[in-house]
Amino acid sequence: MKAFRALLIASFKQFFRDKTALFFTFAFPIIFMFIFGLVYSGEGNISYDIGLVNQDISPAGLATAQGIKGIPIFKVTEGVLEPTLAEMRDGKYKAVVVIPSDLAGNIPKGEVSYVKVYYDPSDMASQTILPILQQVVQEINQQLSQSPLLLALTEQSISAHKFGGMDFLIPGILAMSILFLGLFGALPMVEWREKQVLKRLGATPLNRSTVVFSQVVYRVILALFQTVVIILLAHFVFKVNMVGSWFLLFTMVVVGTLTFVSIGYLAVSRAKTTESAMPVVQLIQFPMLFLSGVFFPVEIMPSFMKPIVAVMPLSYLGDGLRQIMVAATPQNSIVLDLVVLGVWFTATALLTIRIFKWE
Amino acid sequence: MVIEVENLVKTYGQIKAVDGISFRVNQGDVFGMLGPNGAGKTTTVEILEGLRIADSGKTSVLGMDITKSANKIKQKIGIQLQAPALLPLLNVEELLGTFASFYKNHISVSQALDLVGLQESKKIVVKNLSGGQQQRLSVAMSLINNPEIAFLDEPTTGLDPQARRALWLVIEGMRDKGKTVFLTTHYMEEAERLCNRLVIIDHGKIIAQGSPAELIRNNFAEKAIEFETKIPIAESILKSFKGVTRVASEDGSTLLYSNDVTSTISTLLEFTDKNKETGQLTNLHIREATLEDVFLKLTGRNIRE
Repeated sequence: MKAFRALLIASFKQFFRDKTALFFTFAFPIIFMFIFGLVYSGEGNISYDIGLVNQDISPAGLATAQGIKGIPIFKVTEGVLEPTLAEMRDGKYKAVVVIPSDLAGNIPKGEVSYVKVYYDPSDMASQTILPILQQVVQEINQQLSQSPLLLALTEQSISAHKFGGMDFLIPGILAMSILFLGLFGALPMVEWREKQVLKRLGATPLNRSTVVFSQVVYRVILALFQTVVIILLAHFVFKVNMVGSWFLLFTMVVVGTLTFVSIGYLAVSRAKTTESAMPVVQLIQFPMLFLSGVFFPVEIMPSFMKPIVAVMPLSYLGDGLRQIMVAATPQNSIVLDLVVLGVWFTATALLTIRIFKWE
Repeated sequence: MVIEVENLVKTYGQIKAVDGISFRVNQGDVFGMLGPNGAGKTTTVEILEGLRIADSGKTSVLGMDITKSANKIKQKIGIQLQAPALLPLLNVEELLGTFASFYKNHISVSQALDLVGLQESKKIVVKNLSGGQQQRLSVAMSLINNPEIAFLDEPTTGLDPQARRALWLVIEGMRDKGKTVFLTTHYMEEAERLCNRLVIIDHGKIIAQGSPAELIRNNFAEKAIEFETKIPIAESILKSFKGVTRVASEDGSTLLYSNDVTSTISTLLEFTDKNKETGQLTNLHIREATLEDVFLKLTGRNIRE
């Protein structure tokens, strides 16, 4: 116990004197949060430039044009067809809306008139613009035909509080930090092996398990520390509050850290030098990060990737943290999240014990 | 008797690193194991320290079998590895304190610092220490548990002469306190100065053992005459000089071992006077034979080759 405590304290002293380690553990997730915070804060002011060509100057045509101009996130410029289309090709407009000349004539006859939209399918913005236009045209249609509104949709979020982009991201950033902290957690061990510190420790009566245990506990404490920093920042800077149980949160963080520390140890169990261990860790770090549902919702991924996402431990850590921290809709139950992480931990730890090279 | 080794063998693949060696170390000895790089010194020490397992042979340390009581032995021995193996971001005092915590019984950090003369540097972070200070710290780490035997594996390799001398004083201090020290080195003058008993090891075998004085006396009754000439004088001529028992050459200079130095030198001077083409005698000096000469005689090689 005396030796365990001394090793733990020595690890923390080394950590706080290592500027690079400090930066990657604390500054990096914070910088990440601010970058994303900036991106998401911009979203409220987004507006799209739209070209409008009105070929019907009847009251019905003008009313339709007025309706489109009234959409808050559209900046509408009226013009004539050909020059407007040319301007769109030059990138001035995201879309061009054409109100047909037969609008006023067709209404009394009960025939359909087509409002035509020119758009660029390669532009992501069209995915936002088209549904909005669809809805506006629908509403105008209803007013013109004067049919009564029989069915309407009102929105009611099942989440108790407003769910913004940062709510999705902050648990993700915490999950990512735990991933990094865990995977890179074995690198000091490789350095100790390379510089024969492990051999030197082996020449003392110290047990190997005490060495490993002190290193793992050290990482877990760091992860808890990091969690508190991220949550405080989320609360004070991004107004994202931790709504769930602290006990559950810390349990999730501890289990997650153990899992990734174990995966990290497995990855470098045979590496001879820190230089050779580094690329191995990086190689598993990126798929672990991007093939999990942490930064992109699982729904937008192609279907062939979904089974991969479904086994990645980070998906479960992300899901669990999101549920606990911001009461997000569960992908799985928290118990399942913990069980999957536990299985990963047990499997990799057992394998590591078998193949880890001490010297 | 604190260490007993009998017929120790360790092979790595095809290479016999240790090839059936036997020796004993007594309480209070500064025991030296001498030999060139790759002779099997480190392998032997690491088997005694419990860091490697021998293929065959009997090893007992402090009366215990190393393969059975490794942890008990580790409490009572101090170890200094060839690589310093330190935690670079701790300071001297913290590192010693950490190592002290691994042992049931240990001396205070301050006592350990006094032993190696690092008291003034105790707040310096390890990575900022000089090579000599790191070696001294490494020795201090090996003494922190007040060991009955201290194993020092080439403690002075790579040090400048001043740092080497400082470390010699540390080892002499241990000797004066009656501690047993097991020292490996490839510096002959180091072994000659520090050790009261030593073995010379080459290609995994012991080729000589005894006290430094015994080794020299048994191999050389004569003194060494060392000199250089522009053109080397043929060995057959040198051997015919009065008093010469052996001829050797080393780094371009010639070595004559003689039991009649005065006659040998006058013959040599006469020879160079008559044969001008060999050129002037330079760097001529006469000295007592050393362990270096013993090694050269026994192996036909210089220890640093």
